[in-house]
Amino acid sequence: MFERFTDSARGVVYGSIEQSRRAGDACVEERHMLAALLDAEGTRTSVALATIGFVASRDEIERGLARARRRGGISQADEAALADLGIDVGEIVARVEQTHGEGALAPARRTRRLWPFGGRTGHVPFTPGAKKVLEQSLRESVARGQRHIGDEHILLALTARPGVVADLLAEYGVTHTAVLGALAPRAQAG
Amino acid sequence: MTEATDLASRAGDRDPRVGLRAVAALRRLLEQLEAVQVRSARVQGWSWQEIAAELGVSRQAVHKKHGRN
Repeated sequence: MFERFTDSARGVVYGSIEQSRRAGDACVEERHMLAALLDAEGTRTSVALATIGFVASRDEIERGLARARRRGGISQADEAALADLGIDVGEIVARVEQTHGEGALAPARRTRRLWPFGGRTGHVPFTPGAKKVLEQSLRESVARGQRHIGDEHILLALTARPGVVADLLAEYGVTHTAVLGALAPRAQAG
Repeated sequence: MTEATDLASRAGDRDPRVGLRAVAALRRLLEQLEAVQVRSARVQGWSWQEIAAELGVSRQAVHKKHGRN
């Protein structure tokens, strides 16, 4: 599958590994892939995001991700859905943190020793979720009848897979449908 | 205007996506809450057997799930 990746898509994959390493995380997660996508310049992703009118800074995105993390992986859309049931996530987080400390509900950071098969020095394994994004990027390419997997397919994959990253992007209007629309003219030309 | 907003919000209540999303989110939140409580119990010296009894699951199940923490 990797041989189908364009240079730009490979850049995003290597970039996500670098993002993970720099943050001191033991695994590559979806959020590292998002960070790598947002950092890359002159890509189809950056053109599509500009077309959609996405202007959030990296700091803003990082804050959004940290907010969801502190809430145990609950996005703002999740919070709204739970509020409909009368469940106040903010209140739950506040009470738990009062007793168990700040960030108590954030998922525990995986450490490398938990990954005996990926323990080779310098090797940063992808989480199952991050691997699924790569698989989805192939499906996004196939669905458009394309042979290559570009950075734009990784963006499409991130918006297609339910989770904090897709929800956060949707808050800025970057949905799967919006990305498809932004890519459409280019797809016809190529 | 208020009427329209009201109607929209009531229509939203019937949207299965909202309800299903709430269930999925609650499940995730539950997993984190369980991890917090199990960790806390272990720190306070509880055995896996005691924790399992409170959670209503087997000792093996709770150890397999949280044993690394």
